[in-house]
Amino acid sequence: MTDDEFALSRRTFLDRVLLASAGVGMSAAAPWAAFAADDIAKGPRVRIGVIGTGDRGRTLIQNLNKTRNCTVAALCDPFEPHMTKARAYVPANTPIFTDHRAMLDARQVDAVVIATPLDLHARHTMDALDAGYPVFCEKAMARTIADCTAMVTRARQRGKLLQIGHQRLFNPTYLNALKRAQAGEIGAITQIRASWHRNRSWRRALPPGGTEREINWRLYRDRSAGLMTELATHQLQVTNWFMGGLPTRVMGSGSICFWKDGRDVYDQVALIYDYSDGRKVIYTSMLNNARYGCEEQIQGSKGTIEPELGRIYKEVQPAAVPALAKMRTDVQAGRKNTVPIGGATWFPELPITTPGDSLGWGEYDETMLQFEGFGEAVRSGKEVPGLLAQAYHASVASLLGEQAIDEGKALAWPTDLLTF
Amino acid sequence: MTAKEASVARFAAMGTRVELHLFGCDDPEVLDAARAAILAVEDALTIHRPSPTTALNAALSGGGSAIVDDPLLFDALLAVDALWQATGGLFDPSFGRWSALGLDRTTRSASAALPLSLDFGGFGKGFALDRAVAALRAAGVTSALLSAGESSIAVIGQHPLGGGWPFAVPHPEDAGAWLVELELADASLSISSTIGAGAAKPGRAAMVRPTDGTIVSAPATAIAVAATGAEAEALSTALLVADASAADRLRAADPDRRFLFPHAAPVGAERALEHTA
Repeated sequence: MTDDEFALSRRTFLDRVLLASAGVGMSAAAPWAAFAADDIAKGPRVRIGVIGTGDRGRTLIQNLNKTRNCTVAALCDPFEPHMTKARAYVPANTPIFTDHRAMLDARQVDAVVIATPLDLHARHTMDALDAGYPVFCEKAMARTIADCTAMVTRARQRGKLLQIGHQRLFNPTYLNALKRAQAGEIGAITQIRASWHRNRSWRRALPPGGTEREINWRLYRDRSAGLMTELATHQLQVTNWFMGGLPTRVMGSGSICFWKDGRDVYDQVALIYDYSDGRKVIYTSMLNNARYGCEEQIQGSKGTIEPELGRIYKEVQPAAVPALAKMRTDVQAGRKNTVPIGGATWFPELPITTPGDSLGWGEYDETMLQFEGFGEAVRSGKEVPGLLAQAYHASVASLLGEQAIDEGKALAWPTDLLTF
Repeated sequence: MTAKEASVARFAAMGTRVELHLFGCDDPEVLDAARAAILAVEDALTIHRPSPTTALNAALSGGGSAIVDDPLLFDALLAVDALWQATGGLFDPSFGRWSALGLDRTTRSASAALPLSLDFGGFGKGFALDRAVAALRAAGVTSALLSAGESSIAVIGQHPLGGGWPFAVPHPEDAGAWLVELELADASLSISSTIGAGAAKPGRAAMVRPTDGTIVSAPATAIAVAATGAEAEALSTALLVADASAADRLRAADPDRRFLFPHAAPVGAERALEHTA
């Protein structure tokens, strides 16, 4: 892709985000989108220090490189093989650090991006906030609900920006889906069936020098809630978003069902999140069957939206029985003909296989866009509106789900959470 | 003769599509009343979601008893009881255990001497059409055709152009061939088949013989005409599950309105060539 082509596709993408986020109710439902897609102010790029250069960290670096207002100005990672890979994406003279405090103390960056294992998010975020830096932290926020709350509280105390990565919030297909749902196209949403099913172990091969707990941190409970924080968080943000509210309680079950390889996080979870007025989110995630993949099936009385597939489906109404339609025509024309009538041919309770209609606007680079929004927020000192509440509630929902599974009972939504 | 005014309703209910065609009446409230009558029966008799029937099943499945508060359900139980007797036990929505069910009209209760459960199946469609017919008649409708899944038909009065309503039941496997032609007036029609477009659909309940619990697998189609939809449904089911001698007895009682077609028989004739196995 040439620079011109890239600029054009970026403009098209941003126009779509702006168009999708305009309309009745959308400024309240997705206030961040228009903010992030707005024109970028002229001025020096925001210098970003990236803490954590593993797979996700390197993806973020590549997205930061695409932005119009950010530049990667420092890298931090104690694990040399990751750092070596990450350096390929930045100028050779980019400062590197093995200790995040040293990077913070060096005062060579304007803001910090954190892409470390989950159990380190809270400490790295607090340290960066305490050092006076705005922070962008990957989702999920933290290993515990208490730490999620503490991160927000600390940001407020320090008067510093805290933004959490949830790229679907910037995806034009999702924004358009929300807009169409809010316009009533699928009727009242009463159930969302969300799943993230994969058929692989989730285990990373250990590079030379790597330790099991450092490389495969997602597989151990002291470091991660596994499927709940690494996958479900994305989708629980989406379900909260489309439900227009928060769960009232959650119940669930989990097991190490297939990958009995020493991990201690669940490799299969199934949960029900209750929302107001009897609405429900049914969530499943597993690691040994990929048939149903990653999707949120947003089901209303008039239709269904599947944003990952980018499809919208209308509820199928029974078509007219041809023989009876002809009978009516005949009668109106004064003809009396025999009516052929036989066995039932229409079964609405079978799964519908109609292709539906495209939601349009496939994803482009929503991760890039959330960084441009972060960059503008750093420049202006004003956070991208609405994002932190979405992220906080999504992380709480995922961690509460883990807790419900662990305790084997339904848990009410906490009453001591922060308000936004 | 010019066509009378007509109005029509199409909607999904009881696991299939329902159509109500009225002639000489275009009052939407009349259609709404008929539709409501059908949905009320669905609500009472369905076993696919919580209903008075599932509540009763919960009691009867342990061999217990229960007061049947829902008037539609109790009326359905009484109708089934009469039809169970009329068909010599061949129509049995309890899978062969109806004899163990006691109905007390005074207390409006049902009790089971053996554990049993009810699945009204196609009877529900006929019963629902009967209720819709009653609602339409009460509103003054004199000419109408009602269809539930095209296998349960009811007509009110005569065809809007005069005379009976002419129907032809197609052969389920031989396009263009008819099993039988019928003219109906103020009557109901039920068609049950073990083959054809609908029979092979996943999730379709098999036809079970109440005598021994076996599934009817032989290719056959049963057709029954009766004064009510409930009776027509019971008879078409009974004909399909009956053994040869029982089917003969049922047919002999009303040979012009009860038909059984084993599909080894010749097809393509305007009139059925062979009615029984």
